[in-house]
Amino acid sequence: MTRIGTALKWLLLVWMAVVIWAAFMWVPSASGFKGESSRIVFFHVPTAWVATLAFLVSCVASVMYLKRRSPQDDNRAAVSAGLGLVFAVLATVTGAIFAKIMWGAYWNWDPRQTSITILLLIYAAYFALRGAVPDPEKRATLAAVYSILAFVTVPFLMFVVPRIYWSLHPDVITNPDPDNRLDSAHLRVLLASLAGFTGLYVWLYTLGSRIEAIRHRRRQEVL
Amino acid sequence: MSRWLAEVLAVAGKDLRTEFRTRVALNALALFALTTLAAVSYTIGPYRLSAEDRPFLLSVLLWIVIFFAALAGLDRSFVKEEESHTAGLLRLAAAPTVVWAGKLVYNLVLILVLMAILAPLFCVLMGFEIVMPWRFVAVLAAGGFGLAVTTTIVAAIIAQAMTRGALFSVLSLPLLLPLLIFLIQGTTAVSTGDLATWSASLRAVLSMAGVMTVVSALLFPVVWRD
Amino acid sequence: MSDLAGIMAVTLIIWIGLFTYVYRLDRKVSRLED
Repeated sequence: MTRIGTALKWLLLVWMAVVIWAAFMWVPSASGFKGESSRIVFFHVPTAWVATLAFLVSCVASVMYLKRRSPQDDNRAAVSAGLGLVFAVLATVTGAIFAKIMWGAYWNWDPRQTSITILLLIYAAYFALRGAVPDPEKRATLAAVYSILAFVTVPFLMFVVPRIYWSLHPDVITNPDPDNRLDSAHLRVLLASLAGFTGLYVWLYTLGSRIEAIRHRRRQEVL
Repeated sequence: MSRWLAEVLAVAGKDLRTEFRTRVALNALALFALTTLAAVSYTIGPYRLSAEDRPFLLSVLLWIVIFFAALAGLDRSFVKEEESHTAGLLRLAAAPTVVWAGKLVYNLVLILVLMAILAPLFCVLMGFEIVMPWRFVAVLAAGGFGLAVTTTIVAAIIAQAMTRGALFSVLSLPLLLPLLIFLIQGTTAVSTGDLATWSASLRAVLSMAGVMTVVSALLFPVVWRD
Repeated sequence: MSDLAGIMAVTLIIWIGLFTYVYRLDRKVSRLED
């Protein structure tokens, strides 16, 4: 482990610890949010963001794989997708908790909950596909293709659905965009949390890629 | 260009003729669609839903039936080539894009036939009031195209995998859900007469279907190449 | 207020635990790579 690497990791430890403390103790409860539910936002938004980032990275790795056919690219795609799945689950759960406190129901299919669900389904489908193809090259190719296909549908979800969606459900409780209601203290903690989670993702991603590289090397040696 | 088109139609034509003889996919489509329709009609019928809920709920039901029928009937378009060992021959005989387009046309014809029978039947049995009939047809056609494009590329992918029955549906669903949302919206709009929403939904469906078409055309050769 | 402190404590413990696990894993992988 390089010295900079070690330093950065310890920094991450302290950084996130401070963020956690700040989220619960330093920031006052935000107005417009029921009870202390605004605090969940500091964990919910970053996990959703990382889930999407991981997906993006996975797709880029997939495109790279189709271009240069390097097994490392496929490994990276799979590792990032795995991380993305974990963070997507976390985002869904924290979102549901938030929804329960704010609007009384764990799930009401608002555009964001819908989007994260579809992201979850994409990840699940991706791994189902990988599980169904025994040959490593075929598996990498098909997974890469699917990853790209799934990626092109995501912008529609992210941008188009929320805009059109509300005309369909005028009776659903209006869902104030939490981000708009935050003042500067909240914003700072949110951004810090975002940075911390992203750092965590980067660390886990590089670690996962290194592990897969070792596994791959071992397999090649056996052959 | 016309040579390419002729080849595409040849591929599609061969599939459709075989299908007409064996009726495997058609049976799956019809069986699913009609059974579900009968069940829905029997339990819910034209009277149970309140007037304000009807446009949306009936729209949802219609598209659920169409989607699941498609998932049931369209999964085998490539698998059957592998099973009858004609895949290799097809690879030699036609360029990848020709194969893709041919299968797409085949799937499209099947879906449109399904819709042509199902939609009127549904409207009659469920008392689904369509205020803008031609725009309804537009939504159906656009949805059918979106369905066909997506199921074609997914069918190509699973033909190369060890298919455990559900894989086709598992892969298709996340790709089709956004489409479904817009189609339901558009169909609700033709029932309530909401032109603005109809227009927005149709545009969304067409752009999604368009993007899917371009991307699948680009990626298909990668999947098909063996 | 102490409810909040409780949740924070749990979150911190989870974070420190997670960090320790990943850090150890990182060290092990580094050794394997050399």
